Amino acid sequence: MSKEIVKEEAPSSSGVAPAESPAFASLRGLQWRINLGILPPSSSIDDLRRVTADSRRRYAGLRRQLLVDPHVPKDGTSNSPNLVMDNPLSQNPDSTWSQFFRNAELEKMVNQDLSRLYPEHESYFQTPGCQGMLRRILLLWCLRHPECGYRQGMHELLAPLLYVLHVDVERLSEVRKLYEDQFIDKFDGFPFEENGGPCNFDFKKFSDSGEDEIGSQGNSKKVCSLDELDPEIQAIVLLSDAYGAEGELGIVLSEKFMEHDAYCMFDALMIGARGSVAMADFFASSPAAESQSGLPPVIEASAALYYLLSIVGSSLHTHLVELGVEPQYFALRWLRVLFGREFSLQNLLFIWDEIFSEDNSPLDKVSEDSDHFSFKLLNSCRGALIAAMAVSMILYLRSSLLATETATSCLQRLLKFPESINLKKLLEKAKSLQILALESNKTPLSSAFGGAYNCTKSQMSSPNVPSVLVSPNTALSPLPDTYWEEKWRVLHKAEELRQNSSGKDTPSPSGKKRWAERVKFGLSRTESCPSPAREEKCKRDSHSVRRTLLEDLSKQLGLEEDAEKGGCFEASNLEDHHSVEVQGEGQNCAIKESLCTTENRCENRSGAVVCEENSSFFPDPPSPPGCGINDHENDTEKSSVASNLSVDDNDDLQRRSPEDSPHRVSLPPEDVSPSPLPENESSGKTSSTKERRNLSGKFQWFWKFGRSNVEETSDKRGGTNEAAKPPIHDGNRSTADSSATTASSNPHPISKGDTMDQNKMGTLKNLGQAMLDHIQVLESVFQQDQGQVGLLDNLSKNILVGKGQVTAVTALKELRKISNLLSEM
Amino acid sequence: MLVPGKIQHIICTGNLCIKEVQDYLKTLCPDLHITRGEYDEETRYPETKTLTIGQFKLGLCHGHQVIPWGDLDSLAMLQRQLDVDILVTGHTHQFTAYKHEGGVVINPGSATGAYSSITYDVNPSFVLMDIDGLRVVVYVYELIDGEVKVDKIDFKKTTTATHSAH
Repeated sequence: MSKEIVKEEAPSSSGVAPAESPAFASLRGLQWRINLGILPPSSSIDDLRRVTADSRRRYAGLRRQLLVDPHVPKDGTSNSPNLVMDNPLSQNPDSTWSQFFRNAELEKMVNQDLSRLYPEHESYFQTPGCQGMLRRILLLWCLRHPECGYRQGMHELLAPLLYVLHVDVERLSEVRKLYEDQFIDKFDGFPFEENGGPCNFDFKKFSDSGEDEIGSQGNSKKVCSLDELDPEIQAIVLLSDAYGAEGELGIVLSEKFMEHDAYCMFDALMIGARGSVAMADFFASSPAAESQSGLPPVIEASAALYYLLSIVGSSLHTHLVELGVEPQYFALRWLRVLFGREFSLQNLLFIWDEIFSEDNSPLDKVSEDSDHFSFKLLNSCRGALIAAMAVSMILYLRSSLLATETATSCLQRLLKFPESINLKKLLEKAKSLQILALESNKTPLSSAFGGAYNCTKSQMSSPNVPSVLVSPNTALSPLPDTYWEEKWRVLHKAEELRQNSSGKDTPSPSGKKRWAERVKFGLSRTESCPSPAREEKCKRDSHSVRRTLLEDLSKQLGLEEDAEKGGCFEASNLEDHHSVEVQGEGQNCAIKESLCTTENRCENRSGAVVCEENSSFFPDPPSPPGCGINDHENDTEKSSVASNLSVDDNDDLQRRSPEDSPHRVSLPPEDVSPSPLPENESSGKTSSTKERRNLSGKFQWFWKFGRSNVEETSDKRGGTNEAAKPPIHDGNRSTADSSATTASSNPHPISKGDTMDQNKMGTLKNLGQAMLDHIQVLESVFQQDQGQVGLLDNLSKNILVGKGQVTAVTALKELRKISNLLSEM
Repeated sequence: MLVPGKIQHIICTGNLCIKEVQDYLKTLCPDLHITRGEYDEETRYPETKTLTIGQFKLGLCHGHQVIPWGDLDSLAMLQRQLDVDILVTGHTHQFTAYKHEGGVVINPGSATGAYSSITYDVNPSFVLMDIDGLRVVVYVYELIDGEVKVDKIDFKKTTTATHSAH
C-alpha cells in the first residue's frame, strides 16, 4: 500500500494547518480530527493524547454494549438466561436474539454497500480487515442513532476517513524506519537496548536519508535527542510514544485503534459537532424540526445551491430551471457523499482538507418567525464552502450544460463529472464563491427570496419550490395558473399606481395619450372582470411553441442575462455594467416611457413564454419607471417579493395583451427595461389591437432613438449607463411613477448616450441577433395569436381586430430595421 | 412463534400424513427436508436423507425402520451407516437427545402431540438447532400444560466425546 501514501503534490490552497497546532499538515488523519472537533486544536501533545484516549474508550464501551452476540454467554451471568424469553424464536423485542437479528439485518444492508466500495482501490478497501472495521463502525453508528438508520452513502463518507488514518499510520511506520532510535521504548527515560547491535546496524543502513542530522551521522552510535528533529517528525514520535500520556491508548497515530478513531471522525462529521452542517441531516427524508422551509434538509440545501448559482451564473441557472433540472437530482449525491463520487480519492482528500478546515459554527441564529429566510447550509463557513464548491463545479461544466437541450443530457453531464480537472482552480473558485455565499445568506435579498418563497409556498409542491424561488427575478419554470393569476393581480395593482402617476405626464408622441387613455379605460374595466384568467389560459396553448424557440434565444442572450441578473444581486458581479445601472437611472424615462408604451403594447401580444424569455432579459432591477426618482427604492423593491412578482406580472401582462384587451397594456411609460431590444421584438409580435397603430408611431420614435444611441457611444452617464440598451421600458415595472421623468427625459435620450463601451457594442450586436430571432418567433406565433384574438372580451378587441394585422406587420418591419441597425453596430 | 423468515431449514422426520401440513411447513421456510413415515400419503419421500449444514452432517430418518424403536444402539448403527454427525429420528413421539460416540442423536418428539402407541402423555415439542461453526446449540420447545417451555443444549463437534450440557 505504500504507493498510495499521500505524497502527491498538494495544491497551494490545501494543507492548511491552523496556526496554533504543530506541523500536522502531512498527517491528514490528525489534522482532520482536529478540524472536525474531536481533538482540541491546542498544541500540547499530551492533551491530544488524552482526548484521543477518551474517545477511544468511549468507542470501546459502545462496542461492547451494542454488538451483541447471543452465542457468547455474558460474563457474570452464571445462571442460565431466561430461555423462554431469550430463545432465537422469541418475538420479544427485548431478547438478545431480537437485537441480534436486527443487527444482522442492518449488517446485511451495510454489506451490500461495502462490497461495492471503491473498487478502484480495492487493494485497501476490499481487504477483510478494512471491511470488517468499516462494517462495525457503520453498524455501531446506526445502532447509536436509530433515528437516522443506515442510508446508502454513509459508507462512502466513512471510507476516506479510515483511509487517511491508514495513511497516517503508514507515514508513522516510514518515520519509524528512518528514525529507529527514537522509537526505542524509553521507559522512564532509560532506553532499553536489548539488541544493541542490530539497532545500530539498522541505524547505519538509513544513514543516507538526507532529511536530517540523524541520517548524516550514519556511522556513529550517537542517539539524537528528540528536540533536534524536525518538528513534524518530533510530533510523530511523541504522538506514538507508548509511554506518553495515557500509555498505549494515547498513541495518537495507532494502527490498533484506527477503528476507534475513524468512528469518532465519522460521528463528528455526521452529527456536525454543534455546527451548522451535519451530514446526517442530508440523509434524513423528513424536514428538520426547525426548518423554515418545511423541506427535507437536502432539498433545502439543493435550493441553496441554485440560489447561489442564480447569483453568480444566472444564465446557466435559468437554463437549468427551464429544462426542469431540479437541483436535488444531482446535488443529492454531491451533498450526501460530500463529492465523494465525483472525484478521485486523492482529489477528494484535497477537497475535504479545505472543507474541514472551515469552521462549522453557525453564523447566525436561524429564527423561525423572521422574515429573513436563510439557508441552513449557508449558515456556516463550512456549509458555504460546500455550496460554493458545488456551484463552482456546476460552473465548470457551464459550456457543456448550456449546450444541452434536454434535462436528461444535462443531468448526464452533471452526474459524470470529468476525471481530469484542474482541482486547484476549482478550489480557488469555490473559495471566492464561499464569501459570496455567506454574504448572500445575510442580505435582504434573502428576504426577497424568502418572501417569494412564502407566498408561493402554498401553491407549489415542495420539489418545485426551490426552482421557483431560486430566481426571484425570473419565473421561467412552468407554473400553474394560480401563480400567473397572482402575479397578474399584483401587477394589476402596480399598473394602477402607475397609471395614476402617469396621468399627469405629457407624453411626447401623440399616440401615447390615446394609448394611455385606452389603457386607463382598459384597466378600469379589467379590474372587475376576471378576464385575465381566461387570457392566461389562452396563451397557454402557444407556450410550447414559443418556448423552444425562446430557449435558443435565451442561450444567445445568456451573456446579457448574466449581466443583468448579476446586477440585480451583486453589483460587483456584473459582467455588463449597463444592467446594473438600469436601476439607477431614471433619466431615460422620457424616451423610455414612450418606448414603454409601445413596448407594452407589443409585449401584450406576445405569449407568456415570450414574456418569460424577456423577463430574463430584463435586468432585474426593473427600471424605475419614473426614472430617477425612486431608483434606490426600486432597487430594494426589486428585491422584494412584490416587485418581483409585479415585474414578472408586468411582463406577463404585456405579453398577454394580444389576447387581452389592450387595457392590459402596462402603462407606465416609465417602465424601462434594460433590454429594450428583446422587448421590441416581442412588441413587434403584438397582434391586432389598436395599439398597433400607436406602436408603429412609437417604433419610429424608438428607431430614431436607437440611432441616436448608437452615436452616443462615448457619452457616459455618471454611474448609470444602462442606456446601452436604449431605455426600453419593460412595461410595468412596479412602483412608480414616471410622470416627472417623462418630461425631463425627452431631451435626455440623445444627450444621455450612455457609455457605449465595447461591451455594449457587443451586447447590442447580440441583442440585434436576438431581436431577429424574436421576430421570427413572433411571426410564427403571430399566426396563432390571430386565432386567439377572438377570445378577448374587451371592447377594444372588436375595434382592433381588423386593423391589427396591418399594424403588426409594420411593426415587425420596424423591428427588423432596428435589428439590422444594431447588428451593424 | 413460528414465523416465516427466521428459520433457514426444516427437517421433518415424517408422518405429516397430508399435503397440507407440508404446505404449511413450506410457508415457514422453503428449504424443507422430509423422510417418509408409515402414515404418509405422499409416497415420494425418501426413507433416509442426509444433508450438510455448516460444518455438520445431518441424517434424517423416520425411525420406524429401526428396531427396536427408539433404541440408542440401533440408532447409532444407523448413524454410522449414514456417516453423519447428527441423526434426527422420530416415531416415538418423545423428545430425546443423546450424545453418542462423537455424534448426536436427536428425537424432536411429536410436533402435534399426536397419539402414540408406545408413549403415554405426549407433549407437542420441536427442536431448534442453531448451528454456528463447530458448535450447535439445541433449543427444545415443549408445550407443557399450555405453556411453552424452552430448554437449551450445547453440542460441540469434536473428536472426543463431551458431556451434553443438559
